[in-house]
Amino acid sequence: MVTGMEECLSQDNETEEKMSFRKYAIIGALALATSSFFGLNAQAEDVTLTLWSLDRDIQPAPNLIKEFNAQNNGIKIEYRQIQFDDVVTEAMRAYASGQAPDIIAVDNPEHALFSSRGAFLDLTDMIAKSSVVKPENYFPGPLASTIWDGKNFGIPKATNTIALYYNKDMFKAKGLDPAKPPQTWDELVEAARKLNDPSANVYGLAFSAKGNEEGTFQFLPWAQMGGGSYDNINAEGAVKALEIWKTIIDEKLASPDTLTRGQWDSTGTFNSGNAAMVISGPWELDRMMQEAKFDWGVALLPIPHPGAERSSAMGDFNWAIFATSKHPEEAFKALEYFVSQDDKLFQNFGQLPARSDIAIPKTGQPLKDAALEVFQEQMKYAKPRGPHPEWPKISKAIQDAIQAALTGQMSAKDALDQAAEKIKGVLG
Amino acid sequence: MKSLFSSMRDGLGFDIALVAFALGFLLLMSGLPLVYNVVMSFQEVDMFSLGTFSRPFVGLRNYIDLFAQPETYPILLNTLIFVVGSIAGQFLIGFGLALFFWVNFPGASWLRGLFLVSWVMPGLVVGAIWNWILSGDFGVLNFILRETGLIDANIFWRSDPDYSLYAVIIANIWLGTSFNMILLSVGLSGIPGDLYEAAELDGANAWQRFWTITLPMMRSTIGAIIALGLIFTLQQFDLFAAITSGGPNNASNVTQYWAWELSFRQYDFGKGATVSVVMIVFVMIAAMVYVRSTRHEVRG
Repeated sequence: MVTGMEECLSQDNETEEKMSFRKYAIIGALALATSSFFGLNAQAEDVTLTLWSLDRDIQPAPNLIKEFNAQNNGIKIEYRQIQFDDVVTEAMRAYASGQAPDIIAVDNPEHALFSSRGAFLDLTDMIAKSSVVKPENYFPGPLASTIWDGKNFGIPKATNTIALYYNKDMFKAKGLDPAKPPQTWDELVEAARKLNDPSANVYGLAFSAKGNEEGTFQFLPWAQMGGGSYDNINAEGAVKALEIWKTIIDEKLASPDTLTRGQWDSTGTFNSGNAAMVISGPWELDRMMQEAKFDWGVALLPIPHPGAERSSAMGDFNWAIFATSKHPEEAFKALEYFVSQDDKLFQNFGQLPARSDIAIPKTGQPLKDAALEVFQEQMKYAKPRGPHPEWPKISKAIQDAIQAALTGQMSAKDALDQAAEKIKGVLG
Repeated sequence: MKSLFSSMRDGLGFDIALVAFALGFLLLMSGLPLVYNVVMSFQEVDMFSLGTFSRPFVGLRNYIDLFAQPETYPILLNTLIFVVGSIAGQFLIGFGLALFFWVNFPGASWLRGLFLVSWVMPGLVVGAIWNWILSGDFGVLNFILRETGLIDANIFWRSDPDYSLYAVIIANIWLGTSFNMILLSVGLSGIPGDLYEAAELDGANAWQRFWTITLPMMRSTIGAIIALGLIFTLQQFDLFAAITSGGPNNASNVTQYWAWELSFRQYDFGKGATVSVVMIVFVMIAAMVYVRSTRHEVRG
């Protein structure tokens, strides 16, 4: 790498003196690798941007950066991987001490925390002028998560949602029609009762009511289908939803461990044939293709009654540019490049683009293709969590309500009333 | 000048230098963070003000809010149960094992060393393993209890609010027992053998020998182990993160996990610091009790 750098330098027809200065500048820059340092050395030919995300080497960010850097268009991106749990704290610390990267990938419910405090750059005008990034091409849910106060503070990076996976073989064995998965909440409970088979270690349904963000992620769609929302969490339909959950847990149609198990582990029990249905997302598809030794399908999340409004959860990360970036134009150019590669996002990395204008190419695996179609449909109804800068506190109130009701310590109504009260305190 | 130099080498100056070094180190490494933590508990601190010092002081509001929350007292009680249960379990089993290995059968010292394996393992790994053992549907523990006829239906150790705290206590006892055993073994081997010989000649039976020789001679070791146990159990975080995440509905939540949750999940650093201060107060009380109880000790 160093040799390459020197060759590069020797091609310049500059004076010896300037050359050595540059050499030191680059060596120093390599050592420091901070954006502010590069800002001071405007003579350097390439603008260097820093980008933080949690993507590993087989995931989009590092690969897109490699492609982008290979274009040699005068912008170079340096990549730093951060762990999921550290994204917000690291970014905040960096921002507070003036060391923030130019570009970051942030989890969508955390987006508003940054934009509301002016930490992210308002991209509204850049997007309006852009020929690549067009808001109308995006699913409404992911797009809404980047918006704060009517302005656009980011671009969805990828997206996901949840739907109902079901074991077709078990449906047949219990006399249910595998072509007609449950459509409503009542049908879901009914199907779970029929499929439930304790003697064979089979639960009717698996989902996650864990006391962390996953619990909120899974419950909020139900509340929304029932006419509730995070700022109206004790709506009648939301109470009904929690009562349905309670029925499922009380009758042991789902494992009691649902309360402490995340989505990944819950889906594991479906794959091993210990649950007949599971509520989870498209991130499971590859594992299920490998592990599940039965015929399965995916259905839209059941609704409270026929004709009711659909809803679903919305996950995954957004791109954003920090307001402190010295090169906002170049950073936006980089984002434009990433967006232009959205059509290969699924093919190369198995992630769903947050775009309604991109058709996912067929994979040639019928089970997977059928599932993807359902997830694309479900995506239309996906709603962001919030957006609100104090989302973690709102989410915590919802998690507490879920757990208080499911452990029988409070009625669904009382638990959600209490959550509504807490959320009112947060919203002010 | 010369006298100053010589006192530096040997005398009052040297003593002062030693004290200053120790005090300075303590102040820098423990005192400052402690004070900083206490200051934070009187401020409103979120993600954005974390990097600066100009944060709004809110007086006692964090404390008032904290004790107005319905989960606060249950979590404090959980912490007490966790600490007492863990220390009692670790100590009793550890002492039993130490006495067992004291018999000194062939290979005893080797086997005793092997017991330390559990202590060497990282908490998250131990947590993940106990997660499987305690799993409700397919857990090993449930299987054993069912097969031996102790229970009819599976106990959902992690998800049943009546059991989840005890699930973590069981794992923590397993984790800490061997450390207790090693320290107690060291204490046991320090008791002179002639004391027992004399007692035996006087006709003391095994129980009397244990009660009047072993226990009194072990007093300082036991005090140290209980004090260390208190520190280790109040530090225990990994097991909660791995097994129950404090759930369901805070049934297994304890102050140390809660402080982390408030600070790093809800980004309410002021509240997180407040919980830490409450913990510090309790630890200080416990430390005072410990110091008082060992004050009359005869040191040799």
